[in-house]
Order: sequence, then structure tokens, then C-alpha cells
Amino acid sequence: MDSPLIPEGVKRCSPKLFFLWTLPWLGLLAWGGISAFLCLYKGLNQTNMSNIFAFALWIVFDLAVIALGAGAFFTGFLTYIIGKGELKNIINAAVIIGFICYSGAVAMLGIDIGQPIRGWFIFWHANVHSMLVEVSFCITCYLMVLGIEFIPIILENRQLDKVPELHFFGHNLHEIMAVFAATGTFLSFFHQGSLGGMYGVMYARPFAARGGFYVWPWTFFLFILSAIAAGPCFTILCTKLAEKITRKKLVPDRAVQTLAKISAWLLASYMVLKIADTLGWLYGIVPKAGLQFMDFYREGPYGVWLVVAELLICGIVPAIILMIPKAREHGGWLITACLLTCTGIVLNRFVFIVVNLAIPVMPFDRFWSYLPTWQEWGIGMAVVGYGFLLFSLAYRYLPVFPMEKNLNPVSE
Amino acid sequence: MEKEHGHGKHQYGMVIDLDKCTGCGTCMTACAAENNVSVRPDESDKQRSIAWMQLFKITNGKEFPHTEVSYFPRPCMHCNENGRGHHVSPCVSVCPPTATQLDLDTGIVSQIYTRCIGCRYCQAACPYKARYFNWWDGYFPKGKGLERYLSPEVSPRMRGVVEKCTFCHHRLMRAKTKAYAEGRREIEEGEYITACAEACPAQAITFGDLNNPKHKVSQLIKSPYAFRLLERLNTKPKVYYLSTKDWVRKMADNYLPGEFKPVTKIGG
Amino acid sequence: MSIEITRRNFIQFLVGCVAGIHATPLPWKLTDDIAIWTQNWPWVPVPPVGEFTHVNSVCRLCPGGCGIKVRKVDERAVKIEGRTDYPLNPGGICPVGMGGLQLLYDETLRFPGPMKRVGPRGAGEFANISWEEALKLLNDRIARLRKEGRPQALAAVDGNPRRSTMSVMVERLLRAVGSRNYLNIPGAEDLSSMVGELMQGTEAPVAFDLENADYILSFGCGLLEGWGAPGRVLNAWGLWRSEPFKGKVRVVQIESRASNTASKADQWVPIKPGTETALALGLAHVIIKERLHDTRFVNDYAFGFNNWRSGYGKERMGFKEMVLKQYSPMRVAYVTGLNPDQIVSLAKEFARAKAPVAIFGKGKGNLSGSLYEAMAVHSLNALVGNINRPGGALVPEPLPLSSLPEVIPDDAARRGLEQGRLDQAGSWRYPFTRSLVNNLTEAILSASESPVDTLLIFSSNPAYTLPDGGAFRKALGKIPFLVSFSPFRDETALMCDLILPDHTYLEKMDDVAWPPGLQYPLYGVSRPVVDPLYNTKHAGDVIIHLAKGLGQAVGSAFPWKNYEEVLKARAKGLYEAGGGLTRFEEGQTPAWKMVNKASGSRPGYKSFDDMWKQIKGGGLWYKPSPAERNWEGLFKTPTGKFEFFSSRIELAFSRAAEKRPLQAVLKSMGVQQTGDEACMPHYEEPRLNVDRSAFPLQMVPYEMINLASDWIPNPPYLYKSLFDTQLLKDDSFAEINPKTAAKYGLKQGDLVMVKSPKGEVRVRLNLFEGAMPGMVYLPMGFGHTAYDEFLRGKGANPNDIVHGPKDPLSGYPIWWITPVKLVKV
Repeated sequence: MDSPLIPEGVKRCSPKLFFLWTLPWLGLLAWGGISAFLCLYKGLNQTNMSNIFAFALWIVFDLAVIALGAGAFFTGFLTYIIGKGELKNIINAAVIIGFICYSGAVAMLGIDIGQPIRGWFIFWHANVHSMLVEVSFCITCYLMVLGIEFIPIILENRQLDKVPELHFFGHNLHEIMAVFAATGTFLSFFHQGSLGGMYGVMYARPFAARGGFYVWPWTFFLFILSAIAAGPCFTILCTKLAEKITRKKLVPDRAVQTLAKISAWLLASYMVLKIADTLGWLYGIVPKAGLQFMDFYREGPYGVWLVVAELLICGIVPAIILMIPKAREHGGWLITACLLTCTGIVLNRFVFIVVNLAIPVMPFDRFWSYLPTWQEWGIGMAVVGYGFLLFSLAYRYLPVFPMEKNLNPVSE
Repeated sequence: MEKEHGHGKHQYGMVIDLDKCTGCGTCMTACAAENNVSVRPDESDKQRSIAWMQLFKITNGKEFPHTEVSYFPRPCMHCNENGRGHHVSPCVSVCPPTATQLDLDTGIVSQIYTRCIGCRYCQAACPYKARYFNWWDGYFPKGKGLERYLSPEVSPRMRGVVEKCTFCHHRLMRAKTKAYAEGRREIEEGEYITACAEACPAQAITFGDLNNPKHKVSQLIKSPYAFRLLERLNTKPKVYYLSTKDWVRKMADNYLPGEFKPVTKIGG
Repeated sequence: MSIEITRRNFIQFLVGCVAGIHATPLPWKLTDDIAIWTQNWPWVPVPPVGEFTHVNSVCRLCPGGCGIKVRKVDERAVKIEGRTDYPLNPGGICPVGMGGLQLLYDETLRFPGPMKRVGPRGAGEFANISWEEALKLLNDRIARLRKEGRPQALAAVDGNPRRSTMSVMVERLLRAVGSRNYLNIPGAEDLSSMVGELMQGTEAPVAFDLENADYILSFGCGLLEGWGAPGRVLNAWGLWRSEPFKGKVRVVQIESRASNTASKADQWVPIKPGTETALALGLAHVIIKERLHDTRFVNDYAFGFNNWRSGYGKERMGFKEMVLKQYSPMRVAYVTGLNPDQIVSLAKEFARAKAPVAIFGKGKGNLSGSLYEAMAVHSLNALVGNINRPGGALVPEPLPLSSLPEVIPDDAARRGLEQGRLDQAGSWRYPFTRSLVNNLTEAILSASESPVDTLLIFSSNPAYTLPDGGAFRKALGKIPFLVSFSPFRDETALMCDLILPDHTYLEKMDDVAWPPGLQYPLYGVSRPVVDPLYNTKHAGDVIIHLAKGLGQAVGSAFPWKNYEEVLKARAKGLYEAGGGLTRFEEGQTPAWKMVNKASGSRPGYKSFDDMWKQIKGGGLWYKPSPAERNWEGLFKTPTGKFEFFSSRIELAFSRAAEKRPLQAVLKSMGVQQTGDEACMPHYEEPRLNVDRSAFPLQMVPYEMINLASDWIPNPPYLYKSLFDTQLLKDDSFAEINPKTAAKYGLKQGDLVMVKSPKGEVRVRLNLFEGAMPGMVYLPMGFGHTAYDEFLRGKGANPNDIVHGPKDPLSGYPIWWITPVKLVKV
């Protein structure tokens, strides 16, 4: 039925099966739709956010997907700027994943703010000192860049490509992609950093506050580093998942291994700096505020286990696995390491957002804990559903993996 | 202790004497009534209830019968610095659409409800929990008549924005208007005080210009018993407290073992 | 030429449109416009602007009567503030008074006009009727009772303070109709009056010159919980902590729980609840033993201190011998749970202070107390001779209000008046008590048919506020016809058959006749701050109207056109007494300082009408007079002296014993002591008649200043100031000591049933170190079943499970200890 749209030389499942496959993701989207409607119509009282947990699940999701979506700009950077040619086989997937993550995050932010209709005041009445302004500007611009990067992939669709004007347009976009990759890299660096900066500049919250360089607290740099370390891992995970589901090899091993290797070194250096930063915080900011390490973990579910999980299990361990060539070449270890890395980054964002807010600063105040409502999960899950759906559509109708034809010759 | 408030012409501030404070909550009620703060049927959800002036209960932690209770009334601290020496309060520097500002002439941290987009970054940045988000629209059901006691001097807030203590800024406007009408350029001490300070039945709250050496507040903060909340974070709040009790003063900030110094010598 | 619509050019057209629109101002304008819309949502109220004015009045939410200044915008009241030109509360008010506008404007709290019950009692289903119809209903009912020869079946329960004009009016109406069954809700003021009568010979409640005292020994008075006139007491508290008093005034709180008062006091003396009498007498023991008492006072101006001889020459025991024999620190320590050294040092400190004063009245003073206890406490003031001295306890002259002309009952009325009171107050059993609602309850519940046919309920909510385990509610169910004058949809009103709603305090003129405990006479008059919002009528006017409708005989007792005329008629006495002031200016010498030094007061009015005009405008008449008064001739007791040994009590015993054995008399009065001690303040352990193994703990109700527990609904603002360890969603909390919790395996936040022999209530637990082990503290003011969504169904009302015997001699209920157990839900 839809065979004229499917790229040439590849095999896709029947439209019916594809339709069935989309059902769960459509279901998640519907759940998200209801949640979004409730939150927009009735207000944010539909969530379990509060004056204590001003930022909660959605912001964790936002920061997590943005960090994980960093694979897009970083792979672009490696492909077009550094010239790692083998990554051309994975760049399309990276761009689409990035687009999904960023557009999902922006949509969530639109619901997360109390007055979405005047959200544009951020730009109109911008306070240049606010890290969030920097984040908003960069994310919006970068989303546009991602859109531009996505367009040529869309135009490669078999039917669209037949239109001479579109073919010409797409081809020329391809030619100047390096410019956009560079712009994207620049923008991404800044907003990844600013997202970290958002927490580091909470100088009156000793748990998050950090020293830094000029206007940028150390978290600024750590967030960039952690994002470019985890982004490729997430790209690998996504392609591996796609391969698993399609039961095909889609990306040559070399591309994956290049990403894994780069990720390994970035993660390792991140861990060194993160540990240094933690020690600096522990012996600088914390005692200066009259606090000790354990003061932050006195009560509630957010205990020291978080530190062990984030730094050791989801930090040092995957860094070591990925650094050993034998290990990262082994499929199981590679996936485990990538999973741990991604978990570690999500944990890191969770700690800065939720745990930070759960810890009281005034000595007579108390610890709080937080559980999201179904509406909050709904919005979060909608982004997951949206991701699966968009990626599936792209995979079905666009030549996402250039090597797919070669790796999986269709027997007539 | 750094007690200078050199910036700007006036630096309005508050001194709350905890020895006098009885924990009665009149300040909270006066504040809510003055500023059209919405009251919801369930105010026991303390994570979401709005109280610009909030009482915190503290105990000395001792066993019966040596237990003692005291209270910290906590308005917005109207911080002068963000903790890194920048002359801007922690919330002001983070607000993306410039919806909250530190007025250099008065030292008051303002909040523009119609500008606020409800991102709540300011709430996350404030260590005093002085900022409140409107999770709901104000509770004024049809036919109940509650809107009849609203004051036109303070605009009721829509849902989805952050609000907080403004040191009853409209009262400053009121006092200034009166002074101008009478041909005066400056207002006298006592002409502008906050609703909480006015209402306190034990006169525990004093309000005035910290930069004016004649004002009572600027004298009170010189007491060895004067302190601020979380002073070590260097946010330079303009709300001071007085207490002769060591355990109460110790509660106001975090101290490593042995760091807290009780007042031993009482000067002047 | 024709344009063929193909898919292709349709899409091109659409793309063109989208691109084109962005080139127009439309999307940008739209973006801006909807942002502006969010700034002006039609459902966000915009308070109308207008002319700002203010009205000075007096708060009548409690008997304290603070001066209030109400800020208005055109006709709307928008804020209540304290008056700086009022001597009682210079500037500050309490949280309840601050929230008063919510009581005025919350429509669902109020009755919009006269109503008739149409649903079952308590369901709150009413139909609007006209005032004529409503008044006729009641009129016919009363007329019928009179015709049937039983006017005494009309009764009234009144919460207006005893000296107020409204209470005089209600009592007068009943008298003119022919019923003696006027019941005033008992409070600490009534107890204070009895102490005044028995020990000082003047029925006026004892006053305390707190501001000039330097040692305040408070026997469970909630000074910071709303005791006395809260505006005045809280102001005094601030003064004690300011120069020049700072560090020189000592406040000692005797109470079993670390309340705000106990914590903020200079010293907290935690004793077992209900043993205050023993402690007071223990302190007296030490003072006498150490010879720290004022010998001149006790020897020359007091009776019954030393042993004395009766007319028959029989040696009688005096106060001194009694306390020396019975109340050694060792024994008192055992009873109260203190250690003997504490008692000794406390007594010494008290007696050595320059101006020590011992005060009584439990909690806010809304509820009754123990007579012997109040006498024991007051005897401490006498021991140190601090009576009518600056900073002491004062014997006040009654407020010089004119009495209204005598009521001349007609025949029908006279027959009713010959019948005794249903509550037996003033009878040989309860000789000094003026009304006993708990006895009325018993009389109704024990009779097969209610002796009360029609009950009028004024300014009170007895179905909620009475500490009687819900007995009054049951009694209400037996009364055929109930009439409420409450402006609010309270628990009692919801049970009533007829609602004749009064104005709220901000819509009417009424008086505050001497705020409780104040050291100088003060008469406050409230005035309408706004015009009545609804079809309500002043209860005073309703009484006049009603009386006139009952015929010449009843009507002639009310010769006034309206209630204001009654106020004016009574105020005439203030003018005649001379010397009163009607103005207080901000910054003026505080009235309590004038008490210290007699300053000549110059009234600023020329005639009575002039004075009345000023009172109406400023709401104030007061007369600071020197506290220092000669003890000679001060006491109007039978002996002409301050009586440690009350000859009135002795006389009451012997009169009652004329017809029956003394043993039986004492038993009926609930007095366990049989000797001379029965005429003196002494300690008796209440006989609870409960198996303590089944109810091993004791429930102690407590009051909070930021939660109205009287008949006034709690202004919703105040819920903001409650902690979530006091109220969480619909559960209020019981405070217990962590040790008690550990003993019964209970944890913070656990849901438990507090069970007493009377019933059970469900609460959550808050473990609080400041709670005495073995006690269960329940806050009063929660557990409403009436009002609106702000108040209804929130928490538990401890009154529902109160179970106790009667206080000896006074017959008031003992509500401060109830044996209970905790059962985890």
C-alpha cells in the first residue's frame, strides 16, 4: 500500500504490522495528550510539583533527553568538523534522535511553565543574567538547526526526491551541512553548559552551588562534558535497539566502535573532573556554609546510595568497560556500559533537580520527598511515545541508515 | 557581622524580636488580608499553601520538661546579594523574563505577576522558601462573596505565576502619595510600615529604613543579639531577628561543631 | 481560463498562505493579544477601586473588645487593622479579629435572612420566610406558653458576656415573660466573680494590673493563647520584653504542656493537670513558713488566716494552720509531680518580688474552671498583700452603667417566676453559681418530656462548645422548639426550628462592658462598619419587637424604640459617675500607667448627649483610676475583711443543713472535705469513677490563639497559620510525649481513636517532647460539622469525649482531664 514511499532496495514490514507496532506509542501519546490537556486547562495543580519541588519529573526528563540528545551535535561535530567519515553511517540517526529529544523537551517545557501562552516573554523581556534565558535561546535556535539538519533527510524520501526543486534544495542543504553542524555545536555547547550553570549558580543552595570560571560555574563545563559523553552512548543504544527490533544490521561496527571509544575517553575525563569537583565542593562550599556531607542525606529516600550509584556504578564502571577495546567490542558489555552511562547522566540530573530541592537549607526546615502524578508520567511517556513513533516513521520511509542496503541485500 | 547596607538611598528592612514574638500568627493573617492572598479549602498542604509571611516552629530538642518552643516568622528576606557578592538577590538574577527586580532606591525585591511566566526557577534558587507559585486560580467561588473583601491596592494573582512578600510595596506608594500631596519629598519613620509590623499585637516587628541612622531598625540591628537567617550564604537579607536565646540564634544558620559562638559580652 | 484544482497546486496554495500570513502582522498581534488575555483572565477578580475611608469600631468577636480600624473602599470593607487610638490594644489585634472580614463576607457561613427549618434537625435545610412570619411564629409560641400557665418553659442560652447589654436584654425578656431559665454560657469571668464575691465581697470579677506587675504567676492561663482581653495581654507581653521592663519582669507558667505561653515564659512549671490548687496552697505553705507574707494584711485586713473562735467559742481552723498542716512541699510535690525544691524556690521568688500577681482562668478563659482552685490562687495575692496595689490584683467597683427600670411581672409571669430554675443555680446545691448549662442538660435528659418547650439561643454555639461529651446536643433533640439568633450557620443553629439571624459584629452597634481582667473600667461600643449585607436584624431590636408583640405587660418592660436607646439609657450611668474619658490619642500615656499615678482626667464632653455622641463615634469610654486604694472598708464581705475562710460558704452550708444533714449537703455539692477546710480553698482529687486500667491515659484539651474555639467560626485565613502537625487534610492531631508513644507502640502520624467513657474521636498523633508523659492533648476548635468547606469536617472536637465529675461547690463541669485510651486505627 505504502510501498512507493519506502526507500528503494530495503525491506519493510507490512503496513498492518507497522500499524500495530505504532499502537502502543500512539497510546502513550494519547495518555500524554490527556495529561497535557488537564495541565493546560486546569493548571499545574494536576501534578505533584509544589513550592518545594518547583522543578520535578518534567525537568528531569528535559535535562535527561537534552543530555542524551547531545549525540546529534557531537556526532555532527565529529563527522563534519573533525571529519570522521565512518560516522556518516550513523549521523542521520543521531540527528533524528537529537531532533526528537529537543522537540520533546521544548514541548514539555511549554507545559511545565505556569503561563505557556506568554512563554515568549523569556525572549522579549530577557534577563541576560539568567542561565535559563541562555538555555531557552540556545535550545530554540538549536532546535531550528536540528530541523534544518533533518530536512535533507526527509527530502531523500523516494517520492519527494522526485520533485526536482526539492531534490535540488535537499542536495544543496547537504553541501552546507558543515556550517549548520558548526552552529549546532556552538549552540549546544552553550545550552548544555547553561543547563548545568542553572544549578551551579544557585549560590544560596549549598547543595547545588559551585565555584567556577568567570560567569560559568563548574557545573557548566561538567554538564557539557557529561552530555557529549553520554550522547553517543544513547545514539549507540538507539541504533542497537533499532537493529534488535528490525532484526537487521543497520550500522557498520566501525561507526559504533568509533563512537564508543570517543565516549569512553570523554566519560573517563568527565569522571575525573566530576570527582575533583565533588571534592572541591565538599571541602570548599559545604563547610563554608556550615554543613557537612552527611547533612544532605539525613532523612528521606534520597540517601548516600545516590552518590555511589552515580559516581561509581554508573560512572567509573562504564568508563572502564568502554575503555577496554575487548569489552566494548562485545555486544553485551557495550550495551551494559552504554546503559549505565545514560543512567548515570539521568541520575546526575535528578540529583541536581529533585534531591537539591528536597534538601532544606534553613536548619529548622525539613526534608521532603516527591512522587509524580499520572499526569506527570503521562507527559514524560508521551515524549517516549513520540520518539518511537517519529523514529519508526523515519526508519520506514527515509533512508536513515545509508549502509542498510549494503548490509542487508534484498534477495529477489 | 557585615551590617552595612550602603547601596541605594533607602534600604527598607525589618527587625523581628523573637523574644517578643508569641507565635500567634496575626502577622500571617494580616499579610494575607492585606495582599489578597487566596485561601483554599485545604490549607494543610504546606507544600502548596501560600503564605508570604510564614511561621516556622522550632523546638530546642530537649526532653520533657525542658522542652521549649519558639517561632521564626519568615517574610521575604529582600536579599541584597546573591551569595557571590553580586548586588542582586538570588531569585532576581535567575528570573528569565525579568519579572522580579531589586529596586536600588528602596531595596525592595518586587514581583511583576503579569510578567512572570511561571518557570519557578526563582523558587528553586531561594533558600528561604519565600516564593510561592499559584498552583490554582484564586479561590473565589461564584455566589460565595469572598471577592468582596479584596483590596484594590494589590492585584489578585492568576494561576501559574509566582508571588511573594513585597514589603507591602503599595503602602510605600500610599505614604509617598500622601507626602507629595502635603508637599514633602521624604516620608517620615512610621509612615510606611508593613501590614505584619502594624498588626503584631506584641510589637515584635519593627520596620524602617536601615540606611537611616535615626530609624529604630538601624539601631536595633546593632544589638549583639541581632542576626539574620542563613547569614553565611552571604545573601545579605534585610530582615533581621533578635533573640537572647542561644539555641534560637543557633537555629538561624548551619554551623559545624564548635563553630557557633554564643553572645558572651553584652556591649552598650 | 479556468483554474484546475489539483493536489499539487492546492498544497502550493496552502504553503503560500502559511508563509504569507507570517509576513502580515496577524500572528504577532495574535501572540501579543493572547498574552494580554492571560494577564486579564476574566475569572481573576479585579477589586473595584473607589474612595478609601476608614471606620473606627470595636471588635466583638471575643469579650476582649479590641479597638479596630476598618479600611473601606466605597461601601466595601477591605481590611481590619488595630486602632492606635485605643487604650486597650495600641495598634495590634489577634489573628481572629484580623480575619473578621471573612466572617462578614463569606456568604455560605451566614444566614441570609429569617428561616424556617424544613429538613430534619441538623441537616441544615431551611426555607426563607419573612420577618413578620418568623416573629409571629415565635410570638405565638411564647404567648401560648403564657396562656397555658407555663412561661417557665421558655428558656434562653446566651453567650453574650455577663455584663453586656445584650445579656441584660435577654434575661429581661425572660423575666417579663415569666421565666427564670436564663442561662449564660459559663466562663472564667463567672468564676472570677465568685472569687470576688466570696473572698472580697464584691461580685465584680477580680482585675489584674498585669502591666505594672513584675512577677506573673499564671496558673494555666493561656496568656498567649487568648486569655483575658487578648489585645491587651499580648501588648503587655511585648512590654515585658521591651525596655525598661526587659529582664525585670518574670512570667512563670504553670501548665502541663509546653504551650506558647509556657515556652515563651521565663519559667515553665509543668505540673499534673488539675493539681493547681495543691500547688497554690503548697506555695502558701512555704510563704507562711518562711514568714514572707504581708503580716499587716493578713492580720488586720483578712479574716480566717489565723485560727479563730466562732460565736459559740469553738476554736476554728484558719488558713495558716490548714496549709501548714496539709500542704508541705513534700506532699504537694507528690501530688503535682514537681520536686519539693522547685516549690520552695518558686514560693520564695513570688513572695520576694516587688509586685507579684497570681492569676487564674484556664486557657482562653472561655470555659469554666474550678472554684476552690481560683480561690487558692487568689489567696496567694492576699498573702503577699498585693491587693489593690500597683501590679496586683484589684477589687474593682462595678462599671457604673445605669440599671434599667425594674420589670413588673404580670400575673402570668409571676406564676412562672415562682418556679425554680431548671439548672438549680443559686439553689442550696449550687449557692454561688449563676447558671449551669450542664445541669439544664441533665434536667432535660432525665425528664421523660423536656421541661423546656422553647429555647432561645443567642451568641453561642453550645452544641459545639460545651465540654460535655455531646450531652447538650442530645438534650436539644428533646426540646420541641429551638430558636437561633446566630448570624452563622453553626452546629446549634442547624438544629433549630426557627432562625432569626442577627447582624454580624461589623454591621451593628453593641457594647463591650469591661474587657475581662482589665485593671481600669472600659466601656466599648461597636458601630456598623458596613450596612447589613443581608436581611438580618439586630437581636436587641428583635427582642424589643417581640416583647411589644406579647402584650402590654411584657411590652412595658421594653419602653425603648430600638436597641441603641437601651445602650444609651445604660450609658447614662457612665456620665453620672463622672470623670470618664472618651478619647485616647496615639502616643498618649498608656492607660495602665495612669493607674499607677492618679492623674486628673479631664473629660472632653459637656453634656451626656455630647458624651454619647463621642462614645458612638470613638467607641470608647474609660476611666483610669489609681490602683492604690486603702484596704480599710474595701472588702464588702460579711466580716468586712478579705476572707481566707469564706463566711458566705459557711453560711450556705448551715442554711442548707437546716433541712438535711450536713453530710448530705456536702455530698450534694460534691465537696469531699467535711471540716472547716470546706470553707477555705483546699485541694480535692476529683473522683472520676472510671476504671483507670481501662482508660490509663488522660485527655487534656488545649486552646490555640490562631484557632477560634468559641462560638465564632474560625476565619479561614487562620488555617494558613496552622502547622501540618496540627491539621493535615481532615485530621487534627493529638500531641503525646514520645515516651508515651513508645509505650503503646505508636508512631508519628499514626491514626488513632481516642476513647473515653463518653465516646471516641479520630485523630493523628504528633509526638511532642513538650507533652507530659501519660497525657493526650487535643486542640479545641476543630471538628465542626457545620459552616462551610473551610471549616466543616476538619479534625476532631475534644468536647465530644469529655467525661468528668462536677467541680465541688460551683457545679461546673470538670473538662480539663478525661480518662482515655488510645487505639490504633
